[in-house]
Amino acid sequence: MAAILVVDDEVDVADAIQAVLEHSGFAVVTADSASRGLAAIERQQFDVVVTDIIMPKVNGLELIRKLREIHPRTRIIAISGGGSFGPLSLKPDAISTHAFIAAAREAGAEEVLTKPFDMDDLLAAVRRHLPN
Amino acid sequence: MDRVIHSLRFRLISVVLIINAALVPLLYLGVVAIVEEGYAEQFVNGVRSFSRLTADELEAASDADFEQRGALLLDDAMLTGQVVFTEIIDGARKMHSSMSMEGNAGRRGDDFAFGDQGDQVYYISQAIERSNHPVLLRLGFDESPTLERIAAVKRRILLAVLMFTLVSILVSIWLSTVIARPMMRLREAAQRVAGGDVHARLQMSSTIAEVKDLNHHLESMRQALVGANERLASEIREREVSERKRLELERQFLHRERVATIGTLAGGVAHEFNNILTPILLYSQLALNDTPADGARSRDLGRIVAAAHRARSLITRILTFSRQIDSQGTTLFSLQSTVEEALALLRAIVPANVEIVSEAVTPDITLRGDPSLVHQVVINLCTNAYQAMAGAGGRLRIGLSRVTSDSALPGGVIQGALLEVSDTGEGIEPQAIPHIFEPFYTTREVGKGTGLGLSVVHGIVTSMGGAITVESSVGEGATFRVYFPLGAHDGSDTGGG
Repeated sequence: MAAILVVDDEVDVADAIQAVLEHSGFAVVTADSASRGLAAIERQQFDVVVTDIIMPKVNGLELIRKLREIHPRTRIIAISGGGSFGPLSLKPDAISTHAFIAAAREAGAEEVLTKPFDMDDLLAAVRRHLPN
Repeated sequence: MDRVIHSLRFRLISVVLIINAALVPLLYLGVVAIVEEGYAEQFVNGVRSFSRLTADELEAASDADFEQRGALLLDDAMLTGQVVFTEIIDGARKMHSSMSMEGNAGRRGDDFAFGDQGDQVYYISQAIERSNHPVLLRLGFDESPTLERIAAVKRRILLAVLMFTLVSILVSIWLSTVIARPMMRLREAAQRVAGGDVHARLQMSSTIAEVKDLNHHLESMRQALVGANERLASEIREREVSERKRLELERQFLHRERVATIGTLAGGVAHEFNNILTPILLYSQLALNDTPADGARSRDLGRIVAAAHRARSLITRILTFSRQIDSQGTTLFSLQSTVEEALALLRAIVPANVEIVSEAVTPDITLRGDPSLVHQVVINLCTNAYQAMAGAGGRLRIGLSRVTSDSALPGGVIQGALLEVSDTGEGIEPQAIPHIFEPFYTTREVGKGTGLGLSVVHGIVTSMGGAITVESSVGEGATFRVYFPLGAHDGSDTGGG
């Protein structure tokens, strides 16, 4: 059974992702901050980590970089705040979609999903990055 | 009347008149005295020598023809026309000229001084030695012709003196005009200058050295004033221009800030809505998966999913709509000039009691990305900084520097640019620091801030792969450090990572 870590400061989002993944038979652990997520990956090795990018204190990009150091084989799916965060007067989706995708990919994420995403897209992404 | 009395011309003429009134009578009296003295002396000398000659002739006469000779001499004397009285006293006998019997009558013969008094006759007595007894010759001379000549000369002197007075008055009038005219011209020129025609030259055409000198100095004074006036005018124009520029910058700043606030608000709300929509979409799709496809429940769940999709596209449209300032897109840009541009806007806004100190970095750092985002970072950080110093004032420092491979750097930045914004404001409470970059978190009063400024900065910096830290203690201000990575963002870099 594949182990998946879901990190998002929005507990409702993390819980929903957990529900979907558990329903499909994955073992899911959630964390509501990047530092808790870091603590979790130090305890246990996950096959896939699904993490939000913009979070208070330690952000998702740092978590991704740390994860790359500790477990280089763990696959990472970043979920961005949904086309929307930052000075939206200054081209909002440039930040969330292009810039965040670029930043997340640069930090080491395999894939980036934009909130709100469909269940099928989430499952497809997770399955794509599992060994078998 | 007062003007006339105090006028230069009146005073000059008055002075000349006073001098004339004092000196002219003295002059007149003096000249007259000399003339009178001269005429009197000449008259007396003539009379004396005539009497002497007559007496000598009488002395030389023999006793026999003395009487006959005497009578002849007296007649001769009378014939000169000057002598009006003749008498020879020989003891008890008196002898007169036969031609002046009536002329001698009643004459007292005792006026021995020259002058216009008494009978206008000058008497002289001459003693003659005759055969051991004295004989006295007495003659009276008419003074009136001499007196008349004196009177005529006096009239001529008076006329000359009056002419002198008249000429001196005319000269004083002419002189006062010569002196006053340039002054009148000067007054007219001064009136023109006072009336606004500052370029009217001061020209007092005069041959008087002092007046020329005065004109020269007044003219250079006027030119200096015109120069000073022009300098002031151009300074005022410059100030007006810079004030207009400042107002325009202020307007731009407020516009950008308003647009940014609206966009940020929309973005923040959209972010929250996307977070809310995610569980709605996932749970409804999960439930839909477990529900038979033909039932009413499946249809209802399908409607929830469809509504969530509509909401998602609405948010996308709102975000597109709120995209008000054109992004400059990803490009290579100078960090230095982007920061300076933002500072130019800030200088228009920041109150005078806040001093802005900016430190440049050399060589300049080139970043790849959207310069308007960096612009927004600087604006937001500096706005926060000066608002933290509101009232008391202080110093806002913006520094740029290059940081190189330090693994201790936050955000894992290996090589990058460091933007530091520090203020001397009230500082941040320790318990607020962990939340400071969270959206809608604000320590300001309701209505004073959106609580989005720092979260926007955080969002931008994170999206650029950079990092932001804050260091602050209460009462000692705050320092924000923003790290922009070079590597992939640095076009000037040789390799790029």
